Amino acid sequence: MSPATQKESVRAADIAREAGKRLRAAQSLNATLDWSQELLDAEATRVDGMKRRTLLNGMPLALKDNIVTVEQPTTCASRILEGYRSPYNATVVDRLRAAGAVIAVKANMDEFAMGSSTEHSAYGRVKHPLDPERVPGGSSGGSAALVAAGIVPAALGSETGGSVRQPASFCGVVGIKPSYGRVSRYGLVAFGSSLDCISVFGRTVQDAGLVLSAMSGHDPLDATTLDRPPLPPPKVAADLRGLTVGVPVEYFPPDLHPGVAGGVRRTIERVQELGAEVREVSLPHSMYAVPTYYIIAPAEAAANLARYDGVRYGQRRIGPEGDIRSLYRATRGQGFGPEVQRRILVGTYVLSAGYYDAYYRKAQQVRALIADDFQRAFASGVDLLLTPTTPTPAFKAGEKTEDPVAMYLADIFVCPINLAGLPALSLPVGRSEGLPVGAQLIAPAFEEDRLLAAAAAVERAVDPAAEVR
Amino acid sequence: MTIGREEVLHVAKLAELAVSETELDRLVEQMNRIVDYVAQLDEVRSDRVPDAFLPGPPTVQLREDVEGHMPLVRPPAALAPEFEEGFFVVPRHGAMEDT
Repeated sequence: MSPATQKESVRAADIAREAGKRLRAAQSLNATLDWSQELLDAEATRVDGMKRRTLLNGMPLALKDNIVTVEQPTTCASRILEGYRSPYNATVVDRLRAAGAVIAVKANMDEFAMGSSTEHSAYGRVKHPLDPERVPGGSSGGSAALVAAGIVPAALGSETGGSVRQPASFCGVVGIKPSYGRVSRYGLVAFGSSLDCISVFGRTVQDAGLVLSAMSGHDPLDATTLDRPPLPPPKVAADLRGLTVGVPVEYFPPDLHPGVAGGVRRTIERVQELGAEVREVSLPHSMYAVPTYYIIAPAEAAANLARYDGVRYGQRRIGPEGDIRSLYRATRGQGFGPEVQRRILVGTYVLSAGYYDAYYRKAQQVRALIADDFQRAFASGVDLLLTPTTPTPAFKAGEKTEDPVAMYLADIFVCPINLAGLPALSLPVGRSEGLPVGAQLIAPAFEEDRLLAAAAAVERAVDPAAEVR
Repeated sequence: MTIGREEVLHVAKLAELAVSETELDRLVEQMNRIVDYVAQLDEVRSDRVPDAFLPGPPTVQLREDVEGHMPLVRPPAALAPEFEEGFFVVPRHGAMEDT
């Protein structure tokens, strides 16, 4: 079903039938929120009626359920948006459909993209395709699981603090987060507006890169998009000669899981064999990325989620006092799940009088230091950075739900990149006791073409199914 | 820094969020855990901080400020829980006063 391997003669109608069969077989993952064979067939008829061969050529895609669509509900996996239908499509949806994609399914996720395990969905947790006792990562866990299980060749997720690269690593697929500003956010339900980024999962760098290429580019409806043409389709570098790859020492702590450390060490060896110079670098402020993120993201979330009040958006609940404030509080109290409520409270707290300077202003200062570290590393002659994607492979369901900080630390190597607005990618590089391990490549802002070409070369040189230790 | 029950209730009021008595103790504990954790930023020296960081392109391209036409894909009645005689039904104006 991937256009990279597809013969010209394959019809979208056949692809849609096969996609429907696979979606029915995947029910036990709980990765889907809305799909129907009727919509799949209608999408296929539209694609088969297109006059020219398109970039995506009938590729079926899953969309995380925080990307708005006219034809299907958009719930953000929250009770508060149950049954909500957008009056418009996200820009990425229009672009992907124009490029020949079949929008196949809306995927389960952590409620409002807040979580690292897809256990915080109002519609139940998503299961890891290789071990149902484990989590697929999050918050885009439904999209990741559908790609890893071979239901769709590629899927859209969104990142605010690593929500595509982390589940990509857990599930053993490719996850690409573009630079902030490369892809339009118009139609992505807002969580942390200075961080949010629509991102892509694929079974290969080529598939994910094609989808990124089709949806990238300037959008007059999002003033933060880069005013340059879309990315060209990805190329594969024959080798990495002439490139310098930096390995940041802070991303290899003593308690790094041995399987993850082994997988990344082996990847470093392959990168050297491909001709790159590998050099140690330092990103000293990255160790503060998680606390920085957990001030800035909840602060932005508290503002963005104010619109779900039962008047502007949200299933209305009437409070006990019967007045408007009681309506707001009942709507939000009953509509939001516990993780979303907790983040709204933390965000409101750090923005409130008396605490703003101590928390929010300080976090903005540290964010600038984190971004400055990356700029210095790249200015010192490093072309790409290589790190583990996550500190451990996929953990068990329920293992971290009672301790929010333990859950947040699952994103320790991915969220610094969101704070700095850079492009990055997670690539499967091995298995530890059968569970996938990912390595992360990071590039300077708006250098996705170099990132994808190098990643495709590394992808050919590593065996993602090999056991590492 | 310790956050007590009263402070959590105050923040919940600011956030327009009804918090039940049964959830309150857990919320107090978890908010304290989070706020204690993020307080480690105090260790970071911020006397030589670079300029505020803004992600994205160096320049923002604003579109022409002209009125455009974006047709609705479905009628206004489909966009609201209550719609009568051409109007969106919202709570009575008098009900918007603080009690």
